[in-house]
Amino acid sequence: MDILSENCGFCGCCVSVCPENVLELEENGLNALDGCTECGNCVMVCPLGALIPEVE
Amino acid sequence: MRTLKYDIVVVGGRLGGSTASLFASKSDVDVLMIEKRQEIGSPVQCAEGVTYGTFETLEMKPSERYVRSRIKGAHIYSPDRRRITYEGGIAEGLVIDRKIFDKDLAIESARAGTDIMIKTNVKDLIIENHKVCGVVAKHLGKTIEIRSDVVIGADGVESNMARQAGIETYKNPKKICSCAQYELVGIDVDPEYLEFYFGEKIAPQGYLWIFPKGDGVANVGVGIRSSIHTAITYLNRYVSKLDATPVELNIGGVPVSGPIKQTYTDGFLVVGDAAGQVDPITGGGIHTTISCARIAGEVAAESVKREDNSSEFLRDYQDKWRKEIGENLDKSVMYRNMADKLNDDDMNALAEFIETQDLEAISKISVLKFVGKHPNLMKVLTELL
Repeated sequence: MDILSENCGFCGCCVSVCPENVLELEENGLNALDGCTECGNCVMVCPLGALIPEVE
Repeated sequence: MRTLKYDIVVVGGRLGGSTASLFASKSDVDVLMIEKRQEIGSPVQCAEGVTYGTFETLEMKPSERYVRSRIKGAHIYSPDRRRITYEGGIAEGLVIDRKIFDKDLAIESARAGTDIMIKTNVKDLIIENHKVCGVVAKHLGKTIEIRSDVVIGADGVESNMARQAGIETYKNPKKICSCAQYELVGIDVDPEYLEFYFGEKIAPQGYLWIFPKGDGVANVGVGIRSSIHTAITYLNRYVSKLDATPVELNIGGVPVSGPIKQTYTDGFLVVGDAAGQVDPITGGGIHTTISCARIAGEVAAESVKREDNSSEFLRDYQDKWRKEIGENLDKSVMYRNMADKLNDDDMNALAEFIETQDLEAISKISVLKFVGKHPNLMKVLTELL
């Protein structure tokens, strides 16, 4: 999963649906820690399309 | 490292945090509220509609400082744009300015004795012998250890406090309503009515709302549960047809799963969005959160005075909030599951039925005849009963 940081609105939607708990919301940024399984949950709920599946 | 000690630490400075800390401080204990942002109340993640009951729970009068519009009722539009109007009861209330309201609540809490730290990020809970004993926070690059008898997690939909305390708050993405909203200027709406639009094309598995704020200003937003397009795509599609201009964009996720099973553990309580304390039908969370947060503040204060912060004592919080709003939320979950199965044709048929019947004198026969013509509706109703 990749973060388009210019699209992120820091709402935290994605954090709540991450089963691996690898997303971390700071005041002005979203960090992805190691351990993403590409489940696509965060991609599905992001209101602004700031998360996109990683292209292999 | 600096070390502080409080009776209660509240993580999060929005509605849930301010209400919990306000009622804890009123009970005469030492309370600290921590907000990660530098400004309380911003950004807004809410359509800003509130019932009068909220202010009764808060024991406050709504202030002209934040009241933008007084609402008499709601117009609900089916996918084929049939209009059903509800007036009075739960459709009555106020549209408020959450930035000012949230800040006012924090000010009330501070006046009651709460200490507040802003621009302070809570990184970790301190857990000793399976009991939450405080938090580790960071402010301007400095780490602070804050020890407390009870921690209240009011840290929103992205809550990690509860997860650290061992309470599962992970949400199924199908039960998160993905929302985007503009505050628009130059929109021609009735200032006394909320508007709700349903339909697969306009807001799949959710709805579009217009909440008037007076003088041609309104919050126009969509909440969806679909991965076809993003919420902002649906919103822009609708707004492009209006001759209005935005002055604010708000986004957020609303949990519509119903409340989580357990909202307490040793030395810890969780309130608000983090606990799923949101009505799953309307997506409204102001009143539910305030009701629960008040109870959380009071129970936490009582546990400090009794020197018992065990989960056995703190369970009182869950018993009390469930007694107050649990049954309503459970019913809403049931209706939510039912509504999820309705397609556009069903909603159009229902709207037509309601529109053409005299609801005061509706007969069982007419209902049966109507349902008989709509097999999917029949199926959904049979499952419900």
